[in-house]
Amino acid sequence: MNATNGKVIAIECLRYDPQTDDAPHYETYQVPFTDDMSVLQGLQYIKDHLDGSLTFRWSCRMAICGSCGGMVNGVPRLSCETFLRDFYPEGLRVEPLTHFPIQRDLAVDQTDFLVKLRSIKPYIIPEAPKPVTEGTFLQTPQQMDEYYQYSQCINCLLCYAACPQYGLDREFTGPGALALLHRYNADSRDAGKAERMELVNADEGVWGCTLVSYCSEVCPKSIDPARAVNQNKVESTKDYFLRFVAPRRNG
Amino acid sequence: MKTYTRTMNGWWRRNPFYLWYTLREWSSFFLTAYALVLLFGLARLAEGAAQYEAWRASLASPGAVIFHAAAALIVLYHAWTWFKVMHKTLPFLRIGARRVPDSAIFAAGVASSVVLSLLLLWGFA
Amino acid sequence: MQIIQSDVIIVGGGGAGLRAAIAASERDSRLRVALVSKVVPMRSHTVAAEGGAAAVTRGDDSLQYHFEDTVSGGDWLCDQQAVEYFVAHAHEELVRLEHWGCPWGRQPDGHVNVRYFGGMKVPRTWYAADRSGFHILHTLFQTSHKYPGIKRYDEYFCVELLVDDGHVRGVLAIEIATGEFVVFEAPSVVFATGGVGRVFRSNTNAGTVTGDGMGLAYRAGVALRDMEFMQYHPTCLLGTGILMTEACRGEGAVLTNKDGYRYLQDYGLGPLDPWPRPKAMELGPRDRLSQAFWHEMKKGRTLETPQGPAVNLDLRHLGAKKIHERLPLIAEAAKTFSGVDCVREPIPVCPGVHYMMGGILTNVRCETTLPGLYAAGECASVGIHGANRLGSNSLTELVVFGRVAGEQAAQFALAAPRRAGSVLRQAQPVADALLGMLRNTEGERLAAVRDEMRLSMEKGAGIYRTQEHLEETCRKLMELRSRYAKGIKLDDRGRAFNTEWLTAIELRNMLEVSQAIAHSALERRESRGSHQRLDHEKRDDVNFLKHSLACRRGDEVPRIDYMPVTITKSSPRARVYGGEGKQVVLT
Repeated sequence: MNATNGKVIAIECLRYDPQTDDAPHYETYQVPFTDDMSVLQGLQYIKDHLDGSLTFRWSCRMAICGSCGGMVNGVPRLSCETFLRDFYPEGLRVEPLTHFPIQRDLAVDQTDFLVKLRSIKPYIIPEAPKPVTEGTFLQTPQQMDEYYQYSQCINCLLCYAACPQYGLDREFTGPGALALLHRYNADSRDAGKAERMELVNADEGVWGCTLVSYCSEVCPKSIDPARAVNQNKVESTKDYFLRFVAPRRNG
Repeated sequence: MKTYTRTMNGWWRRNPFYLWYTLREWSSFFLTAYALVLLFGLARLAEGAAQYEAWRASLASPGAVIFHAAAALIVLYHAWTWFKVMHKTLPFLRIGARRVPDSAIFAAGVASSVVLSLLLLWGFA
Repeated sequence: MQIIQSDVIIVGGGGAGLRAAIAASERDSRLRVALVSKVVPMRSHTVAAEGGAAAVTRGDDSLQYHFEDTVSGGDWLCDQQAVEYFVAHAHEELVRLEHWGCPWGRQPDGHVNVRYFGGMKVPRTWYAADRSGFHILHTLFQTSHKYPGIKRYDEYFCVELLVDDGHVRGVLAIEIATGEFVVFEAPSVVFATGGVGRVFRSNTNAGTVTGDGMGLAYRAGVALRDMEFMQYHPTCLLGTGILMTEACRGEGAVLTNKDGYRYLQDYGLGPLDPWPRPKAMELGPRDRLSQAFWHEMKKGRTLETPQGPAVNLDLRHLGAKKIHERLPLIAEAAKTFSGVDCVREPIPVCPGVHYMMGGILTNVRCETTLPGLYAAGECASVGIHGANRLGSNSLTELVVFGRVAGEQAAQFALAAPRRAGSVLRQAQPVADALLGMLRNTEGERLAAVRDEMRLSMEKGAGIYRTQEHLEETCRKLMELRSRYAKGIKLDDRGRAFNTEWLTAIELRNMLEVSQAIAHSALERRESRGSHQRLDHEKRDDVNFLKHSLACRRGDEVPRIDYMPVTITKSSPRARVYGGEGKQVVLT
């Protein structure tokens, strides 16, 4: 760490210990910092030198593992790519991702997302089994472009923290998982769209979205999950009307 | 495993983005109200010229003017937000192999509505 | 204490662990496969790998070329039987990833494209932009949902390998959310726990890369092989340690010193051509490039910055279009973390610790010396990397040997008799001791011991090593181990989600694995690949063409044994780069 030039910033953290607390409270730490320090590094400073009990997840510190999402002054951000200098001298407040249950301090329970991820069948369902000896599928750059952007999701859950509809109704499948659903539907190697349509059409599917589209604003990878969800509203509508024209084989 | 779940009370005030979203949703009420006023005018027209003229005169009242001015602003905002999110409802549009950028879809939407509005005004004038 | 019964336990949910879990489940869908990981799988460090995965693909390439590049890249310390297996199975595993949805970069006609990497005669690196590891990890993670036999235990931290009468019985873990101990019982266990880069101060590794599996295997009596071979990646973003992938250079980026001079030509990597040449200049191997940096620094020809010495990684001539298509993550990371727009300015970079070539000793079937224990990925030493790994061999290793480990572990579980007797007998004392850490009322701060270890490792076991500095580091590590044993005082005394406690347990592994690294390095009195001794500058095939084995001796320093290197078709000769290669056509 370089010389801090005497700059100190106040970081206010939400604290909650399930073993002793009934409700969260806030604690403020004075953290010496340099201009290249991220919010994550500020939290690490607190843990190393001021209070080892402050709890938060982190790993890659380069915005690709998706561990360190949190609310910074009320906005969902990855703490590793948010910088303390941008909050000086006022200071900042760090809280766990909203809309999720708090496990401890800044760590939230991600189980609900993992269950939803499973529900969208997040894997290629091929038309017919393809032996490895046949080599790869052919996929042109343009075919790849149809799904590529949605395959960039790092599962950081910022979009869920941005989505009030998810906060109001936890049954809603939510932006991240629906974007991944679309990622597979839009892949030329996949033939599982019909299987996934059931979930798209369901109460907890795309119609839970009211196009707030804050999810797309906060997405650190510019995936535009709102677009994936709303394209599937069109798909769902087509699916609804087409059933009158051409009844599906399996009813 | 004990966890703590925060409430959603007042969520729409937590962030300017949510406030604008809430305003966008409420703007539909103005749209509806304006449509009802028009519908009412249409009904008057069916009843005869005098009734229609009376309805038109009522539109000149200060209250009606304020309502229409507010409705116009809010409808403009609504239209703006509509074009802002329009690309999200579309599959990727391509010209050749290149994807049409979202900003172009937005610009095309705004431009066409401005042109159509001007044409309408010109037609009335 | 809860006991969870299964047939195969996989520890670690990165690329190797997920591939092993899928392979075990495909071997027999009735097998109960427990995937135990201290993070949710998609957070694993595979996610940060950038450049790509190597496999012979083009008509002008051959298995022989891949074999030769790998063996000479490893300075002839590779087990050639393992390399032969590796290169022969690389392609099919990458095809399988493609079938599972990995968005590999394509040619206009829809075939998979390949790029150059350092030390390659012919381009053979499959890539998904510069997020190859990310896409491989998410593809494997998402595909794993297809297999009902795989049951995930996310955020369970393994603290002990349970061994009874010379056989693996399972692992003891802490459920992180509650702090409760859980025993996972199974006849076979696969370690896929990744590397140990976090024992060094400046490194490209995620916070989770703490050598847990190496430490647990080592404590259970399995030798750690070739631990002195720690790879420094030559191009990390200055001041952050964030990796600036070798693919930058594979796509044509150049390295210049403070005078704008392409200094690599002075270190046996030339000649400097107006066109790129394979295995030359910036397409040289990582060990040579990191060493060249060190020499430039000594000559005072590096850029002096507040964050230390640096050289320039210059991508500008690639143009914005190619940069954004092939290297979007690099462009984004340089901008976010250093404020550098790599389309307009060069990126300041320096070497950083990146990859452990050694690890848990296994044979080509991923079997360790402990029946029932398997290892794959960076935590293992299957023998393909030798003294220096070639870029893009490690992602392929994850899937090639991840599959082998999973299949072998499944096979073992199917054949193994159920062993009688409770495993709690082994687990309980370990759990009690770890709980004792929560009650220390005196002791040092965790960060103090950890930071001294990192600094000492960097000083003694860095790019260039000497007897004197290594001895100093060995002494320091022994001192830190005894200070650790006296007690670390934790601020956090609770059980639920106590990450301070977990970090303290990780530190125990890190200190012991650091000793294995430093002592192996001290005993190897030669220079080979990534292990460079200023006091023994030449490779010494007479005395050191052999693998080192670090064996634990309780609280003492490790014993360093040796074993022969398996040589099948390539006898050691001078390791030369630059020179004869023909012009490269970058696609």
